[in-house]
Amino acid sequence: MVKEIERAGFPVVHIATIVPISLTVGANRIVPGVAIPHPLGNPDLPAEEEFALRRSLIERAFRALTTDVEEQTVFDC
Amino acid sequence: MKLELRRAVVEDLVFGPATGLAGGLLTVDSDEALRCLEGIPLTKMRLEIARPGESVRIIPVKDVIEPRCKVEGPGEVFPGFIGDVETVGEGATLVLEGAAVVTCAPVVGFQEGFIDMCGPGADYTPFSKTKNLVLIAEPEEGLEKHAYEGALRMAGLRLAHYLAKACASVAPDRTETYELPPLAGRNSDLPRFVYIYMLQSQGLLHDTYLYGVDVKKILPTLIHPNEVLDGAVASGNCVSACDKNTTYHHLNNPVIAELYRRHGIDLDFLGVIVTNENVILVDKKRSSSYTAKLASLIGADVAIVTEEGYGNPDTDLVMNCAKLERRGIRTVLITDEAAGADGASQGLADAVPEATAVVSAGNVNAIVVVPPMDRVLGWPESIATLSGGNESSLRPDGSIETEIQAIIGSTNELGFSAIGSRWV
Repeated sequence: MVKEIERAGFPVVHIATIVPISLTVGANRIVPGVAIPHPLGNPDLPAEEEFALRRSLIERAFRALTTDVEEQTVFDC
Repeated sequence: MKLELRRAVVEDLVFGPATGLAGGLLTVDSDEALRCLEGIPLTKMRLEIARPGESVRIIPVKDVIEPRCKVEGPGEVFPGFIGDVETVGEGATLVLEGAAVVTCAPVVGFQEGFIDMCGPGADYTPFSKTKNLVLIAEPEEGLEKHAYEGALRMAGLRLAHYLAKACASVAPDRTETYELPPLAGRNSDLPRFVYIYMLQSQGLLHDTYLYGVDVKKILPTLIHPNEVLDGAVASGNCVSACDKNTTYHHLNNPVIAELYRRHGIDLDFLGVIVTNENVILVDKKRSSSYTAKLASLIGADVAIVTEEGYGNPDTDLVMNCAKLERRGIRTVLITDEAAGADGASQGLADAVPEATAVVSAGNVNAIVVVPPMDRVLGWPESIATLSGGNESSLRPDGSIETEIQAIIGSTNELGFSAIGSRWV
């Protein structure tokens, strides 16, 4: 899906936990998720800390979306 | 470490007044057998028998366990669940060969599978050839899913142990001896083989236990193959039926059997490294690095790696491969493929250039149609939600059209099956 949306001319960020699979399938902007059962959160954290975690992931994804990339890029931080 | 497997062959299985084995006939006292499950939070428990060739379907199946018990030596089979946690793999163990306990209950709904005792479906599962004592059970009211799984896991292990224990005085039909000397004393010019045993540990009822420890919490560790033969590794899995390793598969791991058979002939079998398949990337990195380090530390020249499940564990598989190969350890992978109904799609979710020797145990998406059976044990409608099935799988006449991934053990990645894939 990532590749098809990109082919249509839209920039795409792939948020997924297993980065090597994102790289293998050819995603260009990759943001590592937290865990496969909960990529965008962490139920072990207190609500306030989890909110901060979720916000940071989304902000990182926005940053990735607005960054020009020449090759597959993992936005680790 | 030396272990005798004393094999008593079970030719047939019947219910009767007293549990025991005589002349190949295993008789089970159903009431007494169910009493050994007292205290387990299950209800409506009943036992059924399913024999090879009978028109019987068992659905949905959670686990299959071979009846075994210790007859000499320390500990008890299935350590951490039966008896204590004493190290197993020494002395002697009785095996009721040809018999199996099958647990049947819709724990998760989509991640159990089925067994046909005859017809085309029977060819895809080894458990159409075993004489099966089937436990059908429902949870006590209010029991949560994970506790239901735990209860059913314990019930299956207890039943398997009970059956063997009741036959402990029987004379075995044959005895096999499994012995490996300590690594330090080896003086062999043969290539040194290590077996890398990947165990499903994704959590959310995708768990495997080593001496009762949930393996998602372990660092990879070295064990003696005899420990596996005594049930140190037990399944707690509700994952796709085709390539989950049931406890029966662990007890009869064909990679261990073959490495033992060829030990001292054309290879030197060093031992087994148990590792996991966790859902966090850092765990995958840590476990694969640790696995390769351990293999290197014991001086392995060659590694055989088996996967459990498909999808994200493919990453664990190829990470293990790359890191082993980079340490100069030649590596062979045994896996299966999710390559679409026509087999034309990419088989593995992940790949590395170092993966140059791969054995495929089959394509989980291949379609099969199985006819109706005279007797169905369990919940036939559950095929609608099993992985591999769908809402229209169960036809009005009772036949089923499904991917083979809904059949227990159809693409087992230990190689415990009769099918494979042809590379094109």
